[in-house]
Amino acid sequence: MPSAAVLAPVVLPFLAAAVIAGFGITGISLGRTAAAAGAWSSAVALVAVWLPVRSSLELLLGQLGYGSALDLRLDGVSFAFGLMIVLPAAVLLTLQPRTWQETAIALLGVGAAMAAVEGGGVLLTAIAGGTAATVAVVLLETEDPAAPRPSWALLLAGWLALSLGGVILQVGGGTAVYSAVPVATVTGALFALLAASALLASCLLPWRMWPSKLWSRPSLRAAGISIATLYPLGFYLLVRAYELGDGRYPSPFFNVVLAMIGLGTAFSAAARAQAAATRREFFGEVIPGLGGFALASIALGTPLGLVAGLVILATASAFVACLALLPDRAGVASLVTVAAAVGLPPGIAFGARVLGVAGAFEAGDFLGLVGIAGAAVWATWMVAGARAIGLPGGRGHPAAETFPRVAMFIAAGTLLLGPAIAAFQLGFANPVAAEVMRSSAAPLGGGLTSVITVSSLLPAVTLFAPLLVIAIVAYAVSSTSAIKTQARPALFKLPSFALVAQARAAVRAATVPEQYRSILNVRELEAAAAGGGMVLWLVALVALAFAVTR
Amino acid sequence: MQPEAVELIVLAAAALAFAVAFSPRAASRRELLGKGSVGIVGAAAIAAVPTFDLALFVVLALGVVHSVVEGKRPLALRLRGPVVAVTLLALGAVFARVQGPDVLERLAAVGIVAGLAAAVGVLPYLHPIDPEEQLTSSPVVWLAFVGPVLAAVIVERAQSLLPVDAAGAFGALLIGLGLVNVVWGGAAAWLTESEAAAWRYSFVADWGLVLCGLGLIVADGQRAAILVLFSIVLCRLPLCLVSLEAPREKAVTRRPVNLVVAAALAGSAPFAGFAARLLLLRAATQLFWPLAVVLAAGMLLWLPGSLRLGRSLGLPKGRQAVGVALVLAVNVAVGLYPLPLLLAAHL
Amino acid sequence: MVEAAAAFVAWLGASVVVLSDGRRGLALGVALGAAGIAVIALDVAGPIAAGSIALGGLVAAAGRLGSGREGWHIMPAGSTPRLVLCIAAGLLALWVAAGVATGPGAPLRFTAMVVIGLSGARVLGGEDAPVLFTATGLLALSVALAAGTGLNAPEPWPFLAAAILAGSIAWISPRPVRAA
Repeated sequence: MPSAAVLAPVVLPFLAAAVIAGFGITGISLGRTAAAAGAWSSAVALVAVWLPVRSSLELLLGQLGYGSALDLRLDGVSFAFGLMIVLPAAVLLTLQPRTWQETAIALLGVGAAMAAVEGGGVLLTAIAGGTAATVAVVLLETEDPAAPRPSWALLLAGWLALSLGGVILQVGGGTAVYSAVPVATVTGALFALLAASALLASCLLPWRMWPSKLWSRPSLRAAGISIATLYPLGFYLLVRAYELGDGRYPSPFFNVVLAMIGLGTAFSAAARAQAAATRREFFGEVIPGLGGFALASIALGTPLGLVAGLVILATASAFVACLALLPDRAGVASLVTVAAAVGLPPGIAFGARVLGVAGAFEAGDFLGLVGIAGAAVWATWMVAGARAIGLPGGRGHPAAETFPRVAMFIAAGTLLLGPAIAAFQLGFANPVAAEVMRSSAAPLGGGLTSVITVSSLLPAVTLFAPLLVIAIVAYAVSSTSAIKTQARPALFKLPSFALVAQARAAVRAATVPEQYRSILNVRELEAAAAGGGMVLWLVALVALAFAVTR
Repeated sequence: MQPEAVELIVLAAAALAFAVAFSPRAASRRELLGKGSVGIVGAAAIAAVPTFDLALFVVLALGVVHSVVEGKRPLALRLRGPVVAVTLLALGAVFARVQGPDVLERLAAVGIVAGLAAAVGVLPYLHPIDPEEQLTSSPVVWLAFVGPVLAAVIVERAQSLLPVDAAGAFGALLIGLGLVNVVWGGAAAWLTESEAAAWRYSFVADWGLVLCGLGLIVADGQRAAILVLFSIVLCRLPLCLVSLEAPREKAVTRRPVNLVVAAALAGSAPFAGFAARLLLLRAATQLFWPLAVVLAAGMLLWLPGSLRLGRSLGLPKGRQAVGVALVLAVNVAVGLYPLPLLLAAHL
Repeated sequence: MVEAAAAFVAWLGASVVVLSDGRRGLALGVALGAAGIAVIALDVAGPIAAGSIALGGLVAAAGRLGSGREGWHIMPAGSTPRLVLCIAAGLLALWVAAGVATGPGAPLRFTAMVVIGLSGARVLGGEDAPVLFTATGLLALSVALAAGTGLNAPEPWPFLAAAILAGSIAWISPRPVRAA
C-alpha cells in the first residue's frame, strides 16, 4: 500500500466539498448524492487503506514552517477514531437534506476532523482540530444563528492549549510526533495541559455544555455533524497521551482525576436526564452520559479500561447518527433507542460498561471505588431511561430530516451487537490498545466469543445471546399501549444547578458601585489613552525609562 | 535590502493592488492608487537607505507628506506621531552611540522601542483617530501599510546599533509593550463604541503580538512576527477596507461569511494567524515558558472583537465578495503552509 | 571653545523656536539653530556637511519668513512653561552630555540631544502649521547630528538629506484642515 494512500480519507471530503461548492456557486446543487459520495468515499478509503496492512502507514512530506513536517499516520488509533467520526457523518449527509453551502461546510468539517486523527504529531492535530472546531461553529451558525452553539472561545481555548502543549514537546523533546516524543518530556505539568485541552475540546465537564445543548436546536442537521466531528477529538487526545507516555499517564493521580471527571460528567448527565421534561431533553444527555462513562474507562490506565472506553465511544458515535435522525414522537423507534441508550442488557453499551466496571476493579486502589460509583450512575441512567419512555416527545424537528426506521435500525443494532462485543473488541479496540500501550504487562486475550481479562473471563456470546433472546421474547409478549405520554416528576433535583445559575446571574448583574464609576470609567480611560495627549506620552516615556534603569 | 523588508513591501503592494482592484468606487480607486503608491515608495525608501539615520529622514518626510494629505484631523495631531517617533529614535541612536555607563545603553533601548511604538501608533503612543476619516489619511496607514516595513527595518538596525548588554532590555521592552498592546487592543476592539476605533484597536492587538515576536530574540519569534505582519497587511487591512466601504445596514448581519471573517481575524485555525500564534508560543517556550502561558491566555481576547468586526463587513457583494474570498483563501494557504513566506524572508 | 559656543547657539536657536509663535521669531530660531549645528558639523563631518546644514537652515528660515503669523511673537503671554522647558532641557542635556557620558565630543552630544528634544517637544505642544513645520525642519537638521555622534568620520549624506528635508518642509503651506 503506498504511503500516499493515507491522504485519501482526508482529501476526499475536501475534494467533494470543493466540487459541491463549485457547482453550487454556478447555481447547481448536487444534493445528497455528492455529500454521500464525499463522506462514504472517506470511510471506504479509511477501511481500504487500513485493513490490508493493519499496521502503521505513515506519509512524511516536507516541513510546513512551524517546526512540524506534514506527517500523516494511519494506525489503529486513527482508524478507530476515523470510523467514529466519518460513519455517523456519512449517514447524516446521505439522508438529511441540506443546502449546498451546509453540505460543503459539513464535508470540510469531516475532512478537518479526519486530518486531526491522522495527524502524526500534536501540532498537526491542534491545527486540524482547531479547523474542525471553526468549521463546526460556522456550520451551526449557517443553519440557525439563533440556536445554541458551542462557545467559540472555549473551543479555541482547548485547541490553543493543545498547541501550547505541542510546542512545549517540540522545545523540550525535539519533536511533537506521537510515536517519537521522549517519555521524560511528558511531565505532570505538560500532561495537565494536554488533559485540559482534551477536556475542553470535547467539553467533558460535569455540567450542561454543547454536547448536550446542541440537541435542543430546532433542526439537528448541523448538530449531528458537529458532534460527530468534534466530540471524539478530546478522547483521541487522551488515548494518544498514553502513547506519549509509553503506555501510561505521568502519574496515577491523573488517572484518578480524569476518571472522576468522567464519572462526574456521566452522573451530571444522568441527573439531568432523570429530570428531563421531554424525551428530546433526555436524548440530549445521552452523548454526554456515554462520553462520561468512556472517559472514566479510558482514564483507568489499563488495556481493559481503554478497550471498554473505546467501545462506549463507538456506541456514542452510532447514537449521534441515531439521535439526529430520530423523530420527536412516541413509538417503537424511541422505545428501542431509549433502551439501547441506557445500556439495557445485552446491548453493546451494556457489555462495554460491564467491561468498564471490571476494568475499574482490576485497576484496584481508589479506582475500584470509581467502578462502584460508575455502577451507581449506571443505575441512575436506567431509572432515567424508564422514566423517559413515557415523557412527551418535545419540540419536533422537521420531518424531512428524520428517518425513524434508520434511527431504530442503528439503536437496535447496538442492542444486537452485544453478543459480538468480543469480536468488536478484537477487531476495533484491541489494535488501539496495542498501539498506545505497547509496554503494558496485561494485554487483552480472548477471541471472537469471549473477553479474557487479568482476573476474569466474560463469555460474551454464551452470556449475551440468551439474554438477547429473552429480551426479544419479553418485548414480543409485552404491549406498549400501556405507556402514557405525560409529564413526570423528577426523581431528584441537583441543587447545584440552581446555585450555578444564581452565581452566573449574580456575575452578569454585577456593576461597579456608583461612587467608583468616575474612577473606573472605561470610556474615559480609552479617551485618555487614545487622545494623543502630550502628558501621557511623556509620562509613558518616563515610565519606560524607569522600568529599564531601576 | 533586508529580505524581510522586501517581502513586507511586496505584501503592502499586494494589499494596495487588492484595494484598487476591489474598491467599489472608481474615484476611490484612483485616489487609493495615487496615495498608496506614495506609501509604497516611502516604505521602499525606508528599507533601501543604508543607515538607520537616513531611514529616520524618510520617516520624517513620509510623516510630513501624510500629514498634509486631505483629512479630517488637525495637522498637529497627524504630524505628532511621526515627529515624536523620529525624536525618540534619534535620541535612542545618540544614547546608543555615546560612551558612558550602562544606563545610557538602556535609555537607548527605551528611545528606540518608544520611537517604534510612536511611529506605528500603538500604546502608549496611540494616534488619535477620526471615525469619519478616510483610510488613506488615518493612522491605519502607519499601523498596516508603512509600519510593518518600518518595524522590520528599525528592529534589524537597532540590533546592530545597540550594544549586546542593551539587547536584553530592548527585547524585554518590546515584549512588555507587546503584552500591554495585546490586552488593551483585544479588550478595546471588543468594548469600544466606534467601529473605526474597534478596527484600529484590532490592529493594535496584532501589533502586540508583533512586538512580542520581535522581542523574543529567537528565530521563531522573528518568524511569528513576520507572519503576524503578513496577516496585518494581507488580512486585516483588506478586510478593514471592505468593512469601511460596506453599506451601513451591515450592523445587524450575522451570516456565515461574517463568522469566517471573524475566524480569520481572530487567528483561528487554519488561517495565517494561527500559524503565527504557534510560532510565537514556540519562541516564548524556548525563552521562558510562563510567558507562553500568558500569551496563550491573551490570544483568547481576539475572539469577541473579531466577531464584532466580522459582522461589520455585512454581506459583501460583487467584486468585494471576490476580494474577501481571495483574502480568506490566501490566509488559509499561508496558515497551512507558511514555509515559503518564511523562506522568502530568509527566516 | 568654538564648539561650545556653537552648541550654545544651537540651544538658543532651538529655544527661540520653542518660544516663538511669529514667522520672524521662528525664522530666527531655525537660522540660529542651523548655524550652531553647522559649526559643529564642520568639525565632525567636514565642510560639505556643514555647508549643507547652513544652506538648508537658510532656505528653511527664508521659507518661514514667507508664511506664518506676522511679527516676532517671541515669549508671548503664557509661555512660562515653554521657557522652563528650554532651561530644563538645556540643563538636563548638559548634565548627560558632559557629566554622564564620557569621551570627547560633549558639545556634539549636547547639541544633538537638546535640539532633537526641544524640536520634538515643540511639535508635541504646537498647533499652527508654521510652528510645526519649523520645528520639524530643525528636527531634521539635528537628526543629522545624531548620525554623526560616536563616529570618527561620518558620511555627509545624512547632513545633505537633512538640509534638503528642512529646506523643503519650510515651504509647505498645507491646505486648511476641516474641523476635527
